[in-house]
Amino acid sequence: MNIKIRNTLAEIIGALIAMTWMWLQLAEASIMTIESVSKVLAQGIGISIILIIILHIVFNILSSIISGQYEKDIDDERDKIYELYALQLSSVIFGISIVTTLVLMGWFNLSINTGLIAITFAGFIGSIISLFLKIYLYR
Amino acid sequence: MIKKKIHIENAVRKLRFNSDEMTQQGLAELVGVSRQTIVAIEKYKYTPSLDLAFKIALAFDREIQEVFFIN
Repeated sequence: MNIKIRNTLAEIIGALIAMTWMWLQLAEASIMTIESVSKVLAQGIGISIILIIILHIVFNILSSIISGQYEKDIDDERDKIYELYALQLSSVIFGISIVTTLVLMGWFNLSINTGLIAITFAGFIGSIISLFLKIYLYR
Repeated sequence: MIKKKIHIENAVRKLRFNSDEMTQQGLAELVGVSRQTIVAIEKYKYTPSLDLAFKIALAFDREIQEVFFIN
């Protein structure tokens, strides 16, 4: 497993843990105020960023211990192209999700809380799917 | 208009062995990319940009068409 796949896996795991944490915190979202929902979502995004950094470090330390050598993470043209593909995919998913959420909010008269949660989770899901695309391309 | 999809092949692996068995890491450092990119190029999984293709050809002191070609 090369460093790119390792780092991408770290990002997927970090995002999944943050999503799970947010899901558990938002179990009673229907009775929560918009301020408390926003607080949980903002904390979730922060947690995902911190987790990804920690997992990157842990994965690279473990890999160095197992293989006995340090692998440099060099970004070249191939990485930029794959990054672009992933960004395009996540943007499309996020865009479709926003429109779908807004339509459903109007149609079913859903609360702002629901819309806020749906849009944030759509961002995470789009990001996770695009990260899987990156793993597919790097394999 | 050429509509046929072209499949670009290369002789990077062969040229590497002919260059005192240069390692993938050695070539990667020479042209400024990661070792994984050289692996992907050798396996025809990735077609490099014109810039990188010229750099690889220069690394082997060859013309670009000797390194990258359509079979």
